[in-house]
Amino acid sequence: MITKKALPRRTFLRGMGTAVALPFLDAMAPALAAAKNSAPPVRMAFVYVPNGIIMQGWNPDYEGPLHELPRILKPLEPFRQDITLFGNLTHNTGRALLDGAGDHGRCCASYLTGVQPRKSVTNIKAGVSFDQIVANHVGKQTRFPSLELGMEDARQAGDCDSGYSCAYTNNLAWKSETQPLPPVLDPRALFERLFGNGTALTPAARARENLYRRSILDFISDDTRKLETSLGPTDRRKLDEYLSSIREIERQIEKAEQVNAQIDPHMEKPYGIPADFAEHFKLMTDMMTVAFQSDLTRVITFLVTHEGTSRPYREIDIPDGHHPLTHHRNQPDLIEKVTQINSYHMRQFAAWIAKMRSLREGDGSLLDNCMIVYGAGLSDGNRHLHEDLPTLIAGRGGNHFRSGRRIVYRKETPMCNLFLAMMDRMGIHVEHFGDSTGRLDALDLT
Amino acid sequence: MQFPIAAKPPVGIVFDSAMRRIDDVLALAMLHGFDGKREARIAAIGVSSGDLRAAQFCDAVRLFYAGATPEVAAMFLHSLPVGLADGKPAAESRMYRAAYPNTIKNADDTADPGTLIRNALMAQYDQNASVVLSGPATDLAKLLDMYGEKDWVARKVRLLCAADAGAWADPAGQKVLAEWPTPIVTVSRELGEALPFPGESLEKDFAYANAHPIAEAYRAYKPMPYDAPSWAMAALLFAVHPDAGYFKLSGSGNRRELVLDPQQKERVIRAYVEMASAKPVPHQPRHPADEKKKEAAK
Repeated sequence: MITKKALPRRTFLRGMGTAVALPFLDAMAPALAAAKNSAPPVRMAFVYVPNGIIMQGWNPDYEGPLHELPRILKPLEPFRQDITLFGNLTHNTGRALLDGAGDHGRCCASYLTGVQPRKSVTNIKAGVSFDQIVANHVGKQTRFPSLELGMEDARQAGDCDSGYSCAYTNNLAWKSETQPLPPVLDPRALFERLFGNGTALTPAARARENLYRRSILDFISDDTRKLETSLGPTDRRKLDEYLSSIREIERQIEKAEQVNAQIDPHMEKPYGIPADFAEHFKLMTDMMTVAFQSDLTRVITFLVTHEGTSRPYREIDIPDGHHPLTHHRNQPDLIEKVTQINSYHMRQFAAWIAKMRSLREGDGSLLDNCMIVYGAGLSDGNRHLHEDLPTLIAGRGGNHFRSGRRIVYRKETPMCNLFLAMMDRMGIHVEHFGDSTGRLDALDLT
Repeated sequence: MQFPIAAKPPVGIVFDSAMRRIDDVLALAMLHGFDGKREARIAAIGVSSGDLRAAQFCDAVRLFYAGATPEVAAMFLHSLPVGLADGKPAAESRMYRAAYPNTIKNADDTADPGTLIRNALMAQYDQNASVVLSGPATDLAKLLDMYGEKDWVARKVRLLCAADAGAWADPAGQKVLAEWPTPIVTVSRELGEALPFPGESLEKDFAYANAHPIAEAYRAYKPMPYDAPSWAMAALLFAVHPDAGYFKLSGSGNRRELVLDPQQKERVIRAYVEMASAKPVPHQPRHPADEKKKEAAK
């Protein structure tokens, strides 16, 4: 029931089986100010790409203010003032350290945990990941403490890399030392999770919904009308754009389901997963945008494809598997193909950043209030190197980071030092995480 | 599938030195000699004086012994970077006036020594690493201050061998002497002076290379001819071969002193010369499979 002009931050538009959270509206500001919490919350996300990156196409040959960006980062040119590039961050715990082969398994499992995972197919052990530590602290304030998302194969059992369980290559987030959090791959499942009322739709209910082709917006129309009458013109426009974006997501999912059903009614993939990589990426990131916009969660991990993947990229005329290509043995034609894959990933990411920057929130954009890390657990995928990991942050963590720069730290600087600095921004102050040796300096505005 | 390890590899040496004396440079050469002959492995090299030129020299020596240019090293060699402590030495060392190709442009190309040593120790089998200290103990004191590091040191390191009792004079040294969890052996002043490295060796044993960085540093350090005291070399030799009877130990317990065994004098000096002048073992780059086929077809 919506009766006050000062809207609570946690207002939902409800209907049959549906609960749609709202974005940050001006009408919420008085209530929030009264609660001495007028600044929008800081959110963080990790976008992880596998098999390393062609570093010649990633690292600029300069430090300091960003100007011309190297080839792989080119899609971020319009947003270079919104990103911070890091040099020389290292994950020592991803290295062999006497455990032999298995860099893909180790680099993914250690990426957010900062610990060396136990080499095993059945008796897995890593550590609580940094995102989950944050989720434990800030998650009570949102509907979902965290979201774990991905786009490919979430097998949790079997040997995926030289004696390392698939649980290591296919998960970023770890709830406990022995419990990874598998990513949600299916946009339909994610949509229902974000906008459902917490109960899973039965097949019959879903069929009924499909039969009448009703949008969730139809179910919440009464609440929407009531709310609109209490909003100013700016908020009304913002609400309209927000609900339109949800409707657009619905349409994309429906389209993917229809196309998939026509291609192969017996395919193993859930019907909601688009066959096209870029469409899938867009759907997932559109929902991540909505989740951040409406403060459904403040912590997201997104495993684009799993570590060691041999996925081909026919979308860009590369039928070879990604992982075999990365062992290019310095052959220019293979390096070129990997560079194209890296650039293709970056184009999708840049489109998401554009969307995040276009949404106003508080005195800035939604992106300003985020820390979106894009990176990989290997730098040189050919040699399986764990130093100078390709890492950037899009966003300013609540206008706290001085972005638009490349900062090169000393070699061997632990990646966990960055995590400590990010935890500070999320309001969690710990002295040590993983193999950290201190906080990353030179990051803040101050 | 994991294969059982039949035996531990040779001892991993962490060499933390000020690189301000010629015996530091000679010990660095010896370390590469041991590494080339598989009698020891280089785990980490740290420069505690903060001298960027010294760090560049250490990196150049690495390339020299690998027979690699900086470009080849960037493509094929993989080793931990050189550690370099913060701060600058009061005066530039004349040893490093000659410039050799290396991969270090500025301090960002080096690592914090504490972090470097920690990372290197994590890759060693238990009780299969030794630390050689020549110069102040500041890097090791910082290592002990790092979270959980004392346990790692106790687990991985079997011995700390210090080239000079002067290392224990300042607060950092006193901290290390008090808190270091493994046995410590310190080279006595007399030992280093009684076992000089023969300067004449330069003309014959290092002549295999036109511009041998070690020989050139030796010549630049002091007017020739001279024999060099060997504190750091003795510390390294004992760290690699503690049971080979090169030296005697005085005292008892976990803090002892390395003293001269007159009967071993010639043997020790022979070992110095042999290891310091050992020829490089060039790196063999792995060729792509199709290049190998082409070579085989020729």
